[in-house]
Amino acid sequence: MAPTTETFRCMACGHEYEELVEKGVDRERQCPRCRSNSIRQLKRKPAPDAGAGGSAT
Amino acid sequence: MDAGRHPNIELLTFSEVDDVSGYVGNFTVRIRKKARYVDPTACNACGECAKVCPQVRPDEYQMGLSARKAIYIPFPQAVPCAYVLDMESCLGNIPIACGKCADACEKKAIDYDDRDEIVTREIGSIIVAVGADVYDPTQDDEYGYTRFRNVITSMEFERLICAGGPTGGHFVRPSDRRRPTRIGFVQCVGSRNPRLNRPWCSNICCMNTVKDTLLLADHYPDTENVVFYQDIRSFGKGFEDMFQRSKQAGTRYVRGLPGEIVEDPATGNLHVTVENTTAGRIERYELDMVVLSVGVEPPRDLARISGLLTLSKTSDGFFMESHPKLKPVDAPTRGVYFAGFCESPKDIKDSVCQAGAAASRAGALLNAGRIRIEAITSRIDPAACTKCGLCAQVCPYGAIRWQKGEVATVVEAACAGCGACGATCRSGAITMRHFTDDQLLAQVRAVLAHRPEDKVFVFACNWCSYAGGDMAGISRMAYPASNRVVRTMCSARVSEEMVVEAFRCGAPVVLVSGCHYADCHYISANRQTVKRVDRLWDRLERLGIRPERLQLEWISAAEGQKFAAVMRRLEDLRRTVTAEEIALTRAALAAPAKPAPKPARATAPQE
Repeated sequence: MAPTTETFRCMACGHEYEELVEKGVDRERQCPRCRSNSIRQLKRKPAPDAGAGGSAT
Repeated sequence: MDAGRHPNIELLTFSEVDDVSGYVGNFTVRIRKKARYVDPTACNACGECAKVCPQVRPDEYQMGLSARKAIYIPFPQAVPCAYVLDMESCLGNIPIACGKCADACEKKAIDYDDRDEIVTREIGSIIVAVGADVYDPTQDDEYGYTRFRNVITSMEFERLICAGGPTGGHFVRPSDRRRPTRIGFVQCVGSRNPRLNRPWCSNICCMNTVKDTLLLADHYPDTENVVFYQDIRSFGKGFEDMFQRSKQAGTRYVRGLPGEIVEDPATGNLHVTVENTTAGRIERYELDMVVLSVGVEPPRDLARISGLLTLSKTSDGFFMESHPKLKPVDAPTRGVYFAGFCESPKDIKDSVCQAGAAASRAGALLNAGRIRIEAITSRIDPAACTKCGLCAQVCPYGAIRWQKGEVATVVEAACAGCGACGATCRSGAITMRHFTDDQLLAQVRAVLAHRPEDKVFVFACNWCSYAGGDMAGISRMAYPASNRVVRTMCSARVSEEMVVEAFRCGAPVVLVSGCHYADCHYISANRQTVKRVDRLWDRLERLGIRPERLQLEWISAAEGQKFAAVMRRLEDLRRTVTAEEIALTRAALAAPAKPAPKPARATAPQE
């Protein structure tokens, strides 16, 4: 399966960054700025429903 | 050879372990005996089949420096001494189209219809001795290995100088089969190289090169040898003496690895440029041959073996032992032991020592007929168990037996006591002996009973983080005195309720700390910690509590500095948490937790 780009936030320094994540690959996470391991993967926002509020054309 | 003849040893060659189930003293191992296409009991190794075989392939044992036939004996002194048919190389993979070997075999030992056979064995203990692989310098074209004919590896050197090798022990160089008289050895190829993701020392290469230079000095006294090295690691009995003898025999040791190797196309000679860091100057050498002293790496199918036996690996990719000092041959899975390279690079003497120790450990276990376990295993109350099976899912040892609709049970002989199941169980049916919920919650409450606002509350795992704190202390590292540590065997033992209770008791900051991923002493239990902390961040956020007040860190036993740095950072964080914020947190957590909002259901399209 192709890796996906996920967004992470460091809970120590607040730094947000993106990283390629491969499904099934288990890797220790570390903030690239402060090297803390308090890394939270931010949830993807659901894609806006194409049917709702679409263009009126 | 002795093992092959021993009445108490069943030797299954050309076989592979397909599956391992059970636990210490009661393993069931399924083994695939691969088809040889030659009956080893009938074959008398006369070699008539190989003489008529028209298929020629590079001989793997001779590092591709000579050829073998499709039907062959893999190496001299192979046990059993019988031919094997490489079906992938056999003519057109349709043997009946050729059949010359079968015609030539007087014993009628060749069977083209041979198939893999599956056998099972009941095993009490398992010794893992799968060895290691050798670094392949073609990957990065190290020192022109793929371009220059006279750049060879130390493994190829071994075959070239061996009396049983492709040249019968006559040492020649590949380009013109002339005997080289100026030979350079380059150390640490594929070792101690973070750029190649191989930061480890391979342990054996220095002394192997010293041995090679002595061999050359003995066989060909007119040979000039130059060794390019970072530093020679000649520790061990008699090794320093051997190194000194190599120098006395005329081998020149240059401290510095070559920056460039260029081939003279006319002669095949190699021009080596190196910075001699001892002399502080650039030196150039013209050599007939360069030998790359290649390092070792974990075997390529290590992940498969790791999965079969639920073993864990250290950061360098080799198997992790149960304890580096006190249990150096035991795997984290009870009843499994290590011998040799698969645990870490080591020489023959160390491998023999470790193999002897592993055999003794396995023998002692089997002779005793019973095992003693630490009183920290988990226990399931069948009356309270809701039969959800979550505990079985998170157990890294497979020590919990569960089937849908049935109460879970613990195989205590296999349980290591990490506590991941206890922290996961929602019905409170699991008790971790000596680390019960009540005991840990009582510690939380006691620690935070007075002036909780002044404290940083720390959950630390027994093996790494707690030891990291010890290291910071014995190293006299300065860090704020505000932290209060509660020890659990594994960070996975820390349940959501324990963290919530700490905040409820007024803790401004809570840290959950454990081993680094590669160092987890319970195989992969700390992955459950990550999931739990993730859920807690979500929960705190929903309740209007700053999620940053819960922190997660991996701190190894050697990282006293990191422990001190984290404590300093958390003290800074603690100072930002106001009394009002703590009071609001207490109020938010005092109320029953609000369920997570359910995602809105998609409405059916209206007609």
